[in-house]
Amino acid sequence: MSTLAELTALITEHEHAFARALADADAGAAPTRESAFEALKVGWTGRKSGRVADLMARLPSLPATERRAFGQLVNALKARVEQALAERDAALAANRRPAHAVDITLPGRAPALGHRHPLSLVREQVQDVFTRLGYQVLEGPEIEDDYHNFEALNMPEEHPARDMQDTLYLSSPLMPSPEVIAAAAAHAPAAASTRRGRRPLAPQPLTLLRTHTSAMQIRHMEQHDPPVRLVAIGPVYRRDNLDLTHTPMFHQCEGLVVGRGITLAHLKGTLLAMAEALFGAGTPVRFRPSFFPYTEPSAEVDVGCIRCAGTGCPVCKHTGWLEILGSGMVHPGVFEAVGYDPAEVTGFAFGMGIERVAMLKWDVGDIRLFYENDLRFLEQFSL
Amino acid sequence: MRVLYSWLRDFVDVPDGPAEIGRRLSLRGLALEALDPAPAGEAPPGVAALTDDAVLDFDVTANRPDCMSVVGIAREVATVYGLPLRLPSPTASGHLRSAGLRAVERDTFSVRIDAPDLCGRYCGAAADVHVGPSPQWMQRRLLALGVRPISNVVDITNYVLLELGQPMHAFDHARLAEAAIVVRQARANEVITTLDGAARTLTSDMLVIADAARAAAIGGVMGGADSEVRASSTRIVFESAWFKPQSVRATSKRLGLRSEASMRFERGADPTAQASAMARACGLLEIIGAGRAGGTLVDVQARPHVPHVLPVTHAHIEALLGMPVPPHEVERLLGALGFMLDSAGAAAPGWRVTVPGWRPDVVRGEDVIEEVGRHHGFEHLPATFPPVLHAPPPSDARIARDARVRKVMLGMGFSEAISFAFIDAAAATPFAGGAPLIRLANPLSETFAVMRPSVLPGVIDAVSHNRRHGRRDVRLFEIATAFAPSGERRSLAAAWTGEAAGDHWSGTKRDVDFFDVKGAAEQACAALGVTAGFEVTERDYLVAGRAAAVVVGGQVAGVVGLLSPEVTDGRGIPKSDDVLVFELDLAVVSGAAPATAMRVEPLPRFPAIVRDVSLLIDDTLSARTVRDTIRHAAPPSLVSIREFDRYQGRGVPSGKVSVSLRLTFRADDRTLTDDDVSAAMQAVMAAVRDGLGAEQR
Repeated sequence: MSTLAELTALITEHEHAFARALADADAGAAPTRESAFEALKVGWTGRKSGRVADLMARLPSLPATERRAFGQLVNALKARVEQALAERDAALAANRRPAHAVDITLPGRAPALGHRHPLSLVREQVQDVFTRLGYQVLEGPEIEDDYHNFEALNMPEEHPARDMQDTLYLSSPLMPSPEVIAAAAAHAPAAASTRRGRRPLAPQPLTLLRTHTSAMQIRHMEQHDPPVRLVAIGPVYRRDNLDLTHTPMFHQCEGLVVGRGITLAHLKGTLLAMAEALFGAGTPVRFRPSFFPYTEPSAEVDVGCIRCAGTGCPVCKHTGWLEILGSGMVHPGVFEAVGYDPAEVTGFAFGMGIERVAMLKWDVGDIRLFYENDLRFLEQFSL
Repeated sequence: MRVLYSWLRDFVDVPDGPAEIGRRLSLRGLALEALDPAPAGEAPPGVAALTDDAVLDFDVTANRPDCMSVVGIAREVATVYGLPLRLPSPTASGHLRSAGLRAVERDTFSVRIDAPDLCGRYCGAAADVHVGPSPQWMQRRLLALGVRPISNVVDITNYVLLELGQPMHAFDHARLAEAAIVVRQARANEVITTLDGAARTLTSDMLVIADAARAAAIGGVMGGADSEVRASSTRIVFESAWFKPQSVRATSKRLGLRSEASMRFERGADPTAQASAMARACGLLEIIGAGRAGGTLVDVQARPHVPHVLPVTHAHIEALLGMPVPPHEVERLLGALGFMLDSAGAAAPGWRVTVPGWRPDVVRGEDVIEEVGRHHGFEHLPATFPPVLHAPPPSDARIARDARVRKVMLGMGFSEAISFAFIDAAAATPFAGGAPLIRLANPLSETFAVMRPSVLPGVIDAVSHNRRHGRRDVRLFEIATAFAPSGERRSLAAAWTGEAAGDHWSGTKRDVDFFDVKGAAEQACAALGVTAGFEVTERDYLVAGRAAAVVVGGQVAGVVGLLSPEVTDGRGIPKSDDVLVFELDLAVVSGAAPATAMRVEPLPRFPAIVRDVSLLIDDTLSARTVRDTIRHAAPPSLVSIREFDRYQGRGVPSGKVSVSLRLTFRADDRTLTDDDVSAAMQAVMAAVRDGLGAEQR
C-alpha cells in the first residue's frame, strides 16, 4: 500500500511529464501544433483513459485518511493541465482564419494597363495649358511645299537653312492631297477681302519634310483672318545625325498669336505661364535677344534650371539657366506673305522642342531613348 | 567670334573682367560660348600687358556681320556700359593710328570694275615693304583669335579683318600683269591656283580679281598663289573691297572653300568701311615698321552705298515691345550703336533713323525697335497676357479623337510607342500595298530611306527591340502618320506578342492569339462609336488564314492578323513567337461613326429568356454563317447570339465541330412565354438542320 509521500511524488512526476510534453508541443511547427495539443488533451484529460482519470481511479483503493489529500492533489493537477491547454486553445483560436478567408497577401489579378510615352505626356501638358489660355491646337501636313516651309517665313531661296545639310527633301515631288486643296479653296478669302499681298492659292508641289510646324501657321493665316491664337504641334524633321541630343525627327510645339496691339510683353507673360505649367510654379523665365528670320525682335527663352534651382550644376552648365525655346514678334514680311497688314496687326510666335522639355523634366540623358520604345523606359511613365 | 579681352580694351575702357562682360552681353544678344584664359605675352607698344588676359568666344547670330570683329563687339560693350568707343583713326596715337590717304584716279596700278553687281566698291593702295615676321604682340593677337601668323604684310591684312571686320588682301605689285586690277566675272573653266595650293576651275558666275591677263584671286574668297606676297616682294597692293554676299556664299559653297574673308562677305560687310580699313592697314605698316604706303588710295565705287533711312515713332516702339522706353533712352542706345537720329519733320513723336553701313540687317522700323528692346533689356518687359476678344475656335478634331483611342489602348494594356517616320525601303515594301514608296532625296542612311507607308513597321521594330532585350511579353501601339502618294493618313498600329493573360498563381496564363487582337481592334473602333466587321483578307506581311480586313461602314479601315515569319525573322524575333498586329486608319473609322446625335434607348421593361443549344456542324462553316442562319429564322425577339463553347476531339466526328450557342430572347411589349421561345427555337433548329446540316447534341 502506497504512503501519502509516495503518492505526492507520483503527482510531482506527472506534473513534470506534462510540462515536458507541453514544451515539446509548443516547440513544434505551427501546422502540427494544433494536433499535438489535441493529443495532449486526449492523453491527459480524457475521461476514460486520460492520465488524470488514471490517477483518480486509484482513489477508492486508498485508505480513507489519505483519500482526501490525494484527491485534492489530483484535482489541482487537473486544473493546471486544463488551464495550460485552454491557454493554448485560445492562442490557436486567435490565429485561426475565418472559414472563407483567402491569403490577401498573394498577388492580385491586375488587368494589364499600358504606359504613356513621355513625349505624349509633355505634348498633352502643353496642349492643356494653351487650351486653358484660350488657344486652338492644330496639327498639319508633315510633307510640305517649299513656300510654306521657307519662303513665306522670310527664308528666301539662298537662305542657309534650306541647305541639303539641314532639310530632308523628297526624291520626287508629290501633289497635295485633294483634302488639302479643298481646305485651301474653302477658306480662300472673298474677293472683297481687305487682305492684300501674295498668297499662292494654287497648290504647290510638296518637296520636303517640314522642318518646323511654322508651315502649318502659314497655312492657317492664309485661310483665316486675324485674330489668331493657336498652337501647332507635331513631328518635324531635320537632317541631323543621331546622337545624345539630336534625332532626325523630333516634336515641336509652336504658338502664334496675331491681333491688334499684341506685344513682346504678352509673349513674356504667356511663356511664363507655360513654364510654370510644365516645370512648376515659380519657375523663372529669362529672355535673351537672338535672331530668327521670321521674328523681329527675336528672343531665346531660358527657364531657371530645374535641377539646381539656379545655383549651378552640370545640367545647366553652371549657368543656372536652361534654354528651352526660340520666340519673337512675327516678322512683318511673314504677315505680308499671308496678306495681313503689318500696320494693322502685330503678333508673337514661339517654338519649343517637346523632347528637350521631356529631357529636362525627367533627367533623360539620351534623346534616342524616346525612339527605342524600350518597355523598361516606357514603364517608368504612368498614364 | 573669338575676341581677346585686351584687344577689346583698345577700344573701350570697360571696368569689368571678361566673365562679367560675357554675362552682360549674353543678355544683349551675344551669347558667350566659351571663356578661355589667354597666355600672357607682349602688348602693343605703349600698352601694359595683362597678366590675366582671356579669349571670349561669342556665338554671333547670322544677321550680325558687324560682330565678326573686335570693334563690333567693342561697340556692343560700349553701349551696354554707356562708355565711349575709341576707333582707330589718323588722329589717334600709338598703335591705334591710321594713315591719312589721299584719293587719286590712278596710281602705279589701275582699278577697273567690270562686274558692278557683284563688286560695289574696290579700294587699292600701293606700299613699299620689307617682308619679314610681324612683331610678337601682333602674332599673339592673331593666334589668340585662331589665325596663323605668316608675314608682316599678310598679318596686317588679317589683323585688320579681325579688328574692323573688313577682309583685306595683298598682291605682289610686280606680279600683276600691266599693273592692272580688273574685277570681272570668271571665264568659263578659268583655272586658278589658290593660296592653299589647290587648282580650282571656276564658272562664269564667279567673281575674280584679275590682272590684265588672268585671275589673281577669287573675289572675297581666297587669293591666288601666283600674285601672293612672298619674302622677295618689295612692293605690294592692298585690296579693300565690298563683294555681294549672295555671290560670295554661292562661290564659297560651290568650291567648298571657306575663309575668314568669305565668312564675313557672305554675311554682309560694311560697304562704307573700305577706305578706313585701308588707312588702318597702311597705318599698321608704319607702326610695325614693315614698310611705307604711298599715301594714296584708288577708290572705285561702282554702286555707291545709299544708307537706309527709316522712320520710327516712339509710339511704335512702345507698342511693339509692350514696355515704356523714354525717348532719351532710345536716342542714347541707338546713338551708341552708330545710328543717326533726326527728330525733325516727323508727324508723330519719333525719328528718322539713318542706319550705319555695318548693319545690313536693319532694313525696317521693326529692326530698329529690336535694337532698342535688346539694349534697353528684355528683363524690363512686364509679363502680361494678350486679351481674349473672341471665343477661340475649336482645336483640330483629330487631337481629341486620337486621345480617346489612346486611352482605350492604354486601358487594354498596350504601351505607347513613338517611332521615326522614315524607314528602310525593304521593310516598307510589304506594307505599301503596291503603292509607290515616297523616297527621300538625301536620307541620313538607308535605314531612313522612305516615308513609312504604314505605322506597323515601326511598332514591329519596337517589339523586336524589346524581344532582343529579354522581354517576351510585349504590347505596344502607336498613333502616327502613314504616308502614301495619295496623302497622309493618321493610323493606329498595334502589336502584341507573348502572354494574353498574366502568369498568375491562380493558373490563368495564356498566350495571345488572333482573337485577342481582333477584340482589341473592335474596342478601338468602339472607342470612336463604331462597330467593326471583319472579312477574310490577304496581306504580304500576314499569315494566310490568320488575316482579316477590318470593315466599318462598308469601307476597309485596316487589318488584323498574325505577322508572317518573313517579317519577324528579318527583325530577329524568334520563330516560336507569334506577333499579332492590327492597324486602323482612324479617319476611316471615325468617318463611320453615326452622324446623328446619340439618343438613349429606354431600358427593357420585360425580362429576357435565355436558351443554350449545342450543334454539331461541319467545321468549315463560319460562325457568321451559323449566326446569320439563326437570326434569319428567329423572330425579332431574338436579341443576341453568342458562341460560348467550341469543341473538337473525342466524341466529335472528324470534320465536324461542336458549337454551343446562347440565344437571348426578349420582347419590348410583353413578357415572353415558354411557348413563344419554344416556337422560336423550333424554327431555329429547323433552319440550321435544313440549311446547314446541323445536328443537335
